[in-house]
Amino acid sequence: MAFSPFRFRRFSTRLLALVLGLLFATLAVTYLLVSHANLSNALAHSEANLRVGARIYDDAIRRQIAYLTRTAGLMTGDYAIRQVLQAEHPDIRTLSSALQSYTQRVGAPVIAFFDTEGQLLANSDAEMENENVGPFRYLIDRASKADQPEDSGISYLNGKLHVLVVVPLYAPYPNIAGWFGLAFPIDHAFAQKIKDTTGIEVTFASRRGVQATTLSAPDSGIVSQLVARGPGQAGGQVSIVELSDDRYVTLFKPEDLLGEDPVTVVLERPLKAELAAAHELEQRLLYISLVALAVATLLALGLARGVSDPVRRLAGHTKLIAGGDYVTRLQLDRADELGHLADSINAMSTGLAERDQVRDLLDKNVSPEVAAQLMRDGATLGGEEREVTILFADLRGFTTLSERLAPPELLALLNRYLDRMSAEIERHGGVIDKFIGDAIMALFGAPVAQGDSAGRALAAARGMEAALAGLNAELAAEGRPPLAIGVGINTARVVAGNIGSHRRLNYSVIGDGVNVAARLQALTRTPEYRTNIITSAATLAAAGPGAFATRPLGAVNVKGRVGAVEIHAVE
Amino acid sequence: MKRLLFAIGIAIPALLQAASAVGFRVADAKGAPVADAVVSLTPLDGPARLEPPTAPVEIMQRGQEFSPYVTPLVAGTRVSFPNRDTVQHHVYSLSKPKKFELPLYAGEAKEAIVFDQPGIVALGCNIHDWMSAYVVVLATPWFAQTGADGRAAITGIPPGRYRAEAWHPRLGKVESRELDVSGPPAASVDFTLALKPDRRLRRVHSAVPGGYK
Ligand SMILES: [Cu+2]
Repeated sequence: MAFSPFRFRRFSTRLLALVLGLLFATLAVTYLLVSHANLSNALAHSEANLRVGARIYDDAIRRQIAYLTRTAGLMTGDYAIRQVLQAEHPDIRTLSSALQSYTQRVGAPVIAFFDTEGQLLANSDAEMENENVGPFRYLIDRASKADQPEDSGISYLNGKLHVLVVVPLYAPYPNIAGWFGLAFPIDHAFAQKIKDTTGIEVTFASRRGVQATTLSAPDSGIVSQLVARGPGQAGGQVSIVELSDDRYVTLFKPEDLLGEDPVTVVLERPLKAELAAAHELEQRLLYISLVALAVATLLALGLARGVSDPVRRLAGHTKLIAGGDYVTRLQLDRADELGHLADSINAMSTGLAERDQVRDLLDKNVSPEVAAQLMRDGATLGGEEREVTILFADLRGFTTLSERLAPPELLALLNRYLDRMSAEIERHGGVIDKFIGDAIMALFGAPVAQGDSAGRALAAARGMEAALAGLNAELAAEGRPPLAIGVGINTARVVAGNIGSHRRLNYSVIGDGVNVAARLQALTRTPEYRTNIITSAATLAAAGPGAFATRPLGAVNVKGRVGAVEIHAVE
Repeated sequence: MKRLLFAIGIAIPALLQAASAVGFRVADAKGAPVADAVVSLTPLDGPARLEPPTAPVEIMQRGQEFSPYVTPLVAGTRVSFPNRDTVQHHVYSLSKPKKFELPLYAGEAKEAIVFDQPGIVALGCNIHDWMSAYVVVLATPWFAQTGADGRAAITGIPPGRYRAEAWHPRLGKVESRELDVSGPPAASVDFTLALKPDRRLRRVHSAVPGGYK
């Protein structure tokens, strides 16, 4: 048989493996499905969150622009600025310091003032030169050309990302006397503000690098590289980015700048935070699975024991039966298949015991060989012709003996004699065909063919003489008279088979040869022959010349038979 | 000040004989000394004779700030506002005791301002929000201003009953109590002021980066 890893010597192991295997597979698949669903859910949830974050960011920018626009509108109507500008040659330093005062008043870090041509007149930030305020001038130009009251946008101011607003100073409306430019930086504080509102990590990155971020330096570096890699990331698509501490669901949102390469607003949420609740669920599922496995193990072991124990008992019981014990009964007390099996085995024991009894009976009534053949072939009325040596033995003077002994004593003596004779016959391979009163009919070569059946019969006859001598010695010691026998042996072809009615059958042989043997036995009574054993020439021929010492007695006629039979005395 | 006291001495020789000094100690609720507090003694027995100085008192603008921050003076004193900055200023007051404005100017102001009504006058600049100063106009010649140690002393006070007062820019209401100045020098008068948080605007230099508000 080919080797298979799933062959188990014990049923319980097999059941355990099956139950645990199935349960484990189910639990594993469940766990994986739940895990996968959780991840998809977390991703979807994160994406929705990030999109809300993007809208909040847009809104923050819009609000800032609106605030700056309103503020600038108030400033243009302020008394002080008009005072400053009223002068023939407005004092630029005073104007600058006034703008500086405004930056504090309105919280806009950068306030600049431009003339109608877009030339920078004054600036709250002393470091900002005319060439650094390009985006303001771009907006003033755009607003002037479009005849808009104001304009806004995002760009770099002094190399840093800013939201910019330009608003005209009317003197009076709609005459424009100059332009205010207000700006506030898109810096780390701004990114942090968005994060505080949304819980989302915010990074502003462009080809120039990271402009502002809530991330750590290495993480923002990773994000910046992704942005620098190309516009492929700028599709407003959500992806997962591996940062130093966790995987982040990331939304890349492009933001156009005034006359510059766009900046990308990168919004990120750690997947871990989103999965926290799911993780708890998974943890719980894991615990439940482990408990289920443990319980299943115990149940499977119990179930396996419930099956394997009775099976082991059944196996032990069949061994008893094989050993010949048909008396012991198996008590399982079960209503299931195993209980039925035990009942069947008990029924089998009963059947076997009955058959054994029948066989015992056969053994006593017929020879073991005949019994064996009957058991094997069944009792049939069939017959066959075969060569058989027939031995007849008769107790001489039995009739006289029967008159002298009481019936029980007589029977005991007879059985004792028959026992010894039977033993000799069987010892030489003969089969007792039947007892006829004190006479014995035995067959050699039937029902089982055997070599040298004639020789065996002759040897048996001699053995019977010796055995009788032994019995006589015992009888003498008991003070009884000795017994004598006469044996006739003939070898002939006869018909062998079961002879009798349907109700009662006997294995036996029929034919002339049988009569001859009986006749030869009777002839031993002839005093002139002076022998106890007479055999036919046919037997001697079958036994082979010189095997036994014999004395020819001439030929005799046998009743009912044509021609004489040559007989010999066995010495 | 000495001149002022000298004038009083000439005017009331009887009181001069018994003139004495009062020490003040001004602290906040936590016990920390309060500077720039103005303490004064106003006579309760009859109005004091006021003699404002003939020369104007100066409150200048320098480094886009007023200096000094607090100026106590006797009613009727003239104050000049010289601008020592390169940028122009536009000084104004909207306080009841004295409303005025000095339109955008550089260098010396065109005129000196007379503060004739007692009370607190808050000064500001139309251009620079952070510029702030106070003029404390008093109806008594006996006053002083605390130093960094929170201490101040008023000398040459004639015997009599006075109302002792303390004021500070971060104090909503004037603190006052009655004080009898006679005989041996009294122990120092202690004022514990419940000051409001400092809400004074500070000039933020452009070098400090602004941020998202
Ligand atoms: Cu000013």
